[in-house]
Amino acid sequence: MYETFEHTADLGLRVRAPDLDQLFGEAAQALFSTIVDDLATVRPTQKIDVNLKGEDLGYLLFDWLNELLYRFDTEHLLFGKFEVRIENQNLHAAAWGEPFDPSRHSLAHEVKAITYHRLKVEKEKDGWLAEVIVDI
Amino acid sequence: MKETYQGPLERVNECCWRIPKSYKQGMRVPGLIFSDERLLEAVKKDQAPEQVANVAFLPGIQYASLAMPDIHWGYGFCIGGVCATDPDEGGVISPGGVGYDINCGVRLVRSNLYYQDVKPHLRQLVEELFRQVPTGVGKSGKYRFDKKELKHLLAEGSSYVVGRGLGSPGDLEYTEAGGHLDGADPDAVSDRAQTRGADQCGTLGSGNHFLEVQVVDHVFDEAAAGAMGLEKDMICVMIHSGSRGLGYQVCDDALAMLRQTPEKYGISLPDRQLACAPVNSPEGQKYIAAMRAAANFAWCNRQLLMQQAREVFGTIFGQSWQELQMNLVYDVCHNIAKFEEHEANGKRRRLWVHRKGATRAFPPNHPEIPAAYRKIGQPVIIPGDMGRASWVLAGRQGSMEQTFGTTCHGAGRAMSRTAAIKEAGGRNIAKELEARGVIARAQSRRGLAEEQPKAYKNVDEVVEVVHKAGLSAKVARMRPIGVIKG
Repeated sequence: MYETFEHTADLGLRVRAPDLDQLFGEAAQALFSTIVDDLATVRPTQKIDVNLKGEDLGYLLFDWLNELLYRFDTEHLLFGKFEVRIENQNLHAAAWGEPFDPSRHSLAHEVKAITYHRLKVEKEKDGWLAEVIVDI
Repeated sequence: MKETYQGPLERVNECCWRIPKSYKQGMRVPGLIFSDERLLEAVKKDQAPEQVANVAFLPGIQYASLAMPDIHWGYGFCIGGVCATDPDEGGVISPGGVGYDINCGVRLVRSNLYYQDVKPHLRQLVEELFRQVPTGVGKSGKYRFDKKELKHLLAEGSSYVVGRGLGSPGDLEYTEAGGHLDGADPDAVSDRAQTRGADQCGTLGSGNHFLEVQVVDHVFDEAAAGAMGLEKDMICVMIHSGSRGLGYQVCDDALAMLRQTPEKYGISLPDRQLACAPVNSPEGQKYIAAMRAAANFAWCNRQLLMQQAREVFGTIFGQSWQELQMNLVYDVCHNIAKFEEHEANGKRRRLWVHRKGATRAFPPNHPEIPAAYRKIGQPVIIPGDMGRASWVLAGRQGSMEQTFGTTCHGAGRAMSRTAAIKEAGGRNIAKELEARGVIARAQSRRGLAEEQPKAYKNVDEVVEVVHKAGLSAKVARMRPIGVIKG
């Protein structure tokens, strides 16, 4: 589950999930819901694998979202489905999506970057919380 | 998560408020915010003043951590922030003090057309601009540069694309720094960044970037406006864009490189996003070389955007852009760090001036101003919102004395994006603008709602403060009549 929160010029994403794997998957969904108006229009026709080594969970989340954003910006690939496994602060993930097609996808925002500002990955009483502000 | 600023703000004079050095342990200088009683109420509503105080922690910072009247909450630095550091005193360079969109900036083009000439063709003109100028997310540009060409472009800046026939030599003279920063090293720009930028030179982007057809609405200083070739009712084109994905990636790479750097150099920071390195360190030098290359890319981007607009005008009005006298008035950067000579503590020194959402505003007779503007001061282009107005100002001596030669950069947001969407409540912003005489075309309706006039402070109020404070003086006010956006 995710929601957006206010940050004057930019946009904050707040994600909650029962475990880390789902937290990272939902954060990616939140990111692409910011980029495309309706994530349901993105079909899972292509798959990419992402493997990342982490220093801490905050940076790992940052690097994960950043990698997806890079793929979108350079290959114009939109993603809508994610499977993530976090082990010892390393990430192994698969993302499914398809190339941006203006006849079927309506884009909402250009996300310039994921920022470190108030970047947060925290264990809560009954699950995990992540907060990240993206630069629009 | 609206959080109001609870710290001190002491009135210095009617245009300036101080955050004393004593506010937080670790501040090396005070914070100074240029504002007025009214704007200040909005400033206090978020954490921007806290960010002004945080910037005062940076090693080597001189005089004060400054903020312009269009200040709002950013990440690390506030938007509208200015900070000058002295490398000889351990001064740092901070990518956060430049921003993701390195050399985001604005240029203004004049013409010999007047409102009555353009009015009957306005819709056609805007439609054609929207068709020809790539806007929005995921759009590739018309111009392709292979790897070798991109390296030249990064090293040389505007002169590279002008040399390929995309503009005229006069364009270089009227671009800040001649459209080129020395010391740009294309090899300091990662492959990732070059890949991101490869097809984006000559594209507008999204967010608050725009290309507008404007009319000179009011002239405040006839002599200065005359020197710039501006007069009442004249048609102008204003372009607001930056270094696109290439610049974002350069910033991103630098922030990743600097994750451990503050600890390495014993710098203690109140916010991760303020990451920095001493200017005289390998990390600092690497960022500076890459940042300069990204700045050169941004100038090429605006040059190509201008060229596409000139061609569209040529098509619609059946004359070449030269015949239409579509000359560049000036191009300014408002996200940049530059090594400049300033006076600090009674001595002339070379300082790294970070302008994050702030514009250089050199006064008359400054050697870096083109000869045609030497007497009137550097033109400063201030974009407002798409319903009300934009401005041309001229730099004043007060900027050298108070703000390291700097003034504001725009209206500044009054509402967050989410609040603006809520406020719009599904209203048709394009229709509303049309009722005000503005034809607007955007790729994203959502984008239009987020960027609606009400989402911004009134730019006139911001300009009033910098005018009164003697940072830059009013020359002319323009109103938009045609807008294209991402």
